[in-house]
Amino acid sequence: GTQVKDVVIKPDAPNTLLLDKHADYIAAYGSKKDDYEYTLSEYLRMSGIYWGLTVMDLMDQLHRMNRDEILEFIRSCQHECGGISASVGHDPHLLYTLSAVQILSLYDNLGSINVDKVVEYVKGLQQDDGSFAGDKWGEIDTRFSFCAVATLALLGRLESVNLEKAVEFVLSCMNFDGGFGCRPGSESHAGQIYCCTGFLSVTGQLHRVNADLLGWWLCERQLPSGGLNGRPEKLPDVCYSWWVLASLKIIGRIHWIDKAKLRTFILACQDEETGGFADRPGDMVDPFHTLFGVAGLSLLGDEQIKPVNPVFCMPEDVLQRIGLHPEGFLTSENMLEMSR
Amino acid sequence: MHGRVKLKSTAQQEEERRKEREKKLKVYLATREACFAKRKQGALDEDALQLTQQLLSSNPDFATLWNYRREILLHQETVREEDEVQKLYEAELAFLESCLKVNPKSYGSWHHRGWVCSRLPRPDWVRELGLCDRCLLLDDRNFHCWDYRRMVVKASAVPVDQELQFTDRLIGSNFSNYSSWHYRSTLLPLLHPQSPEVATLCPHRPSNSPTHSHRVCEEQLLKEYELVRNAFFTDPNDQSAWFYYRWLLGRAEREEMISCVYVCREGEKVVVAFSRPVKAKAVGLMLVLDGQPQEVEWVSAPPAVQHSPVWICELPPGTISDINNEHNLTVHWTETHTHRECALYTGRTESWCRDSATDQELFRCELSVEKTSVLQSELQSCTQLLELEPQNKWCLLTIILLMRALDPLGYEKETLAHFQTLKEVDLMRSCYYSDLCSKFMIENTILKMEYAEVRVFSLSHKNLSILCHLDQLLLVTHINLCSNQLIRIPPEFSMLQCLEVLEADDNVIESLEGLNNHLKLEAVSLRNNNIRLMSLLKPLASCPKLTRLDLRGNPVIQNENVQSELSELLLLVKNLVL
Ligand SMILES: [Zn+2]
Repeated sequence: GTQVKDVVIKPDAPNTLLLDKHADYIAAYGSKKDDYEYTLSEYLRMSGIYWGLTVMDLMDQLHRMNRDEILEFIRSCQHECGGISASVGHDPHLLYTLSAVQILSLYDNLGSINVDKVVEYVKGLQQDDGSFAGDKWGEIDTRFSFCAVATLALLGRLESVNLEKAVEFVLSCMNFDGGFGCRPGSESHAGQIYCCTGFLSVTGQLHRVNADLLGWWLCERQLPSGGLNGRPEKLPDVCYSWWVLASLKIIGRIHWIDKAKLRTFILACQDEETGGFADRPGDMVDPFHTLFGVAGLSLLGDEQIKPVNPVFCMPEDVLQRIGLHPEGFLTSENMLEMSR
Repeated sequence: MHGRVKLKSTAQQEEERRKEREKKLKVYLATREACFAKRKQGALDEDALQLTQQLLSSNPDFATLWNYRREILLHQETVREEDEVQKLYEAELAFLESCLKVNPKSYGSWHHRGWVCSRLPRPDWVRELGLCDRCLLLDDRNFHCWDYRRMVVKASAVPVDQELQFTDRLIGSNFSNYSSWHYRSTLLPLLHPQSPEVATLCPHRPSNSPTHSHRVCEEQLLKEYELVRNAFFTDPNDQSAWFYYRWLLGRAEREEMISCVYVCREGEKVVVAFSRPVKAKAVGLMLVLDGQPQEVEWVSAPPAVQHSPVWICELPPGTISDINNEHNLTVHWTETHTHRECALYTGRTESWCRDSATDQELFRCELSVEKTSVLQSELQSCTQLLELEPQNKWCLLTIILLMRALDPLGYEKETLAHFQTLKEVDLMRSCYYSDLCSKFMIENTILKMEYAEVRVFSLSHKNLSILCHLDQLLLVTHINLCSNQLIRIPPEFSMLQCLEVLEADDNVIESLEGLNNHLKLEAVSLRNNNIRLMSLLKPLASCPKLTRLDLRGNPVIQNENVQSELSELLLLVKNLVL
């Protein structure tokens, strides 16, 4: 029979949350600017900063980051077309435009870029079929549909694009298993499902999801180790644990997985020496998995961490300040939590 | 960064690696600077192609460099003869192939390859298909490659049946290939669509028709069961085939239509239920009373949701309050050009017009003789498999689904027993199974109620963990939810617009948000639940007719001053049992 692909959690793996170490790890990360690996990741720097800042804010440590330097950096990355690039000298792209807008929302500083031009940029990337290209070179992906509406929602300008068409395109990417892929016909994938359920939440169309069917596929991502994978027959991973968990939260079915076992898996992915989280126990840590580890624990209800919003992957208090309340499933635990 | 194992190393190894990285960094930075400088100068030459190639071969995610290459290539197109352009782009494809060998999962490389093919004067799609085959041989789940392949298939108009044979081949060599099963699910409805006559006759015709609701014709469906059965008999623990099988058993989305209209003299209310959640605005949902269009405001149940299957409006005072008058209502849903009529006769206080769950084939479809016999034999095969593998959760769940397709009421006992086993063998997902079982038990109760045509609905002692299908209970006046595992009365509970008596003793209910504004609710019994705070009882204060309330056995009654606080909150409740 099929061998289940999974990892084994060693008995001496970390089982408590090492928040101080994680904060130190992120605070130090940006200071290794002459590091080879750091330089290689320049093409995604803006997202890297968003990961670092968000996890710091979730741990209530945002003040340790260099706000002025970051704001100046973002300004220098906005291009004439309105789009924002990952770093200086790189080309603008929706991925980094969203990251920049998320950072500015964390800092309550949207005024430091030209918002109208960002809106124009996003608008210009919508295609006739409702989809969004990532940039002017035309790559189409439901990730970019999410980036577009998330950016506009944070800017309070959601109505600037053709939402009806945008929704139609995302729904055309729905599959036999209730999940979503990159483009029509593409296989379901947890990252893509996160983007599409997030997109439908922002646009108020969650009722179009077959939540029971999708929820089943999502909860079947949990492996005996407690970790979640992103597709059938794949290894568990902290970042996929987040995509799956957030999607389940958005469709109101987070209780369909074993929360205690997932917590054990995420905690085991911490590095006790350096701080930070890796994709799997024993691997190298990075800020990306550190954010999704901490955010996942927040969704699981860890009270040492600020509550995280499953759609935007930002602290709830930031979204409340902006006045954004993305749609959630009524049957979710949200209402119960609200009434408490 | 994925799959990089952290290695322990000595100080000396560490130092050597540091030096090596420093050297690499220097080279990298110099090349990057050279690239950026050239681009700034507007250089669109082969030299720049060389420089970007150096960086991209080790870092294909550096998207800006692919953009630069495209700028160069587009420029070169304008200064070269067609044969030279062809050669240039073929060299680009060769470079890309080497990039994909190193990193077969780079979005940038795959997208660039597609772009190059779109610019090639003479694209060679057969070669591209060959590349995909080689790549899938190394990793048959690489979704970048699958997507690229689909693009090539479309561009070169490969016939659908040829692609279906391709999945036959892949599945034949390895049943456990989710990507192939997925691909199959997109091809079958194209090749063997459900015939239009069936689609029109069947009330479950997909409307808006996104790909997922495309169904397969019955004849092909029956053949398909056999293929999947072979797969899961070969490897009963491979989830791919089971997921696919559940899709085969599923049905298309229901058509959007009005399933019920209810009108009531008291409060002069009209309630409209739909087969699917809709967004009812005054323009889309039109109410005509005795030939006169009415200006009304539609409110969803629960209120303040954008989409709901249940919408309510109030008529101006005095419109239908006189019991001696007869009225005729028509509700028009302009979105799908449907309408529904309802007559309110003299001497009647309320009236309704509706399709039952059976009429709507809500929980099961009428099966053809042929399909029934095929599903019966499928059930037999799965039961055989279960004898060999009594712990196989996939098989257990599939048996439950087959039983529901065949005879949900007849197989109720077996279904419950299988759910019990499922929860034991797959503990991690026990909440999923509890919710699914609750849903099926509620469906069965609705079906039974219809045979009895009563408005008293009992769901007690059913181990329910959730409530659902509440839009089907619009006309229910008495509901008994006692002795379940419910933790809340959900907001959707406000769809029970006729509710007078609620019994929900012996649950673990913590919140009552679904009890807001029940205008007819008179009695609520919540003995032995888990209501802790006085504030959680607030929804009850919005029920104007509530006079009897039983809260015995809830933590909240241990609060000091509970009696006085409660009588302050619930002024109208005369009969309060604590
Ligand atoms: Zn990961």
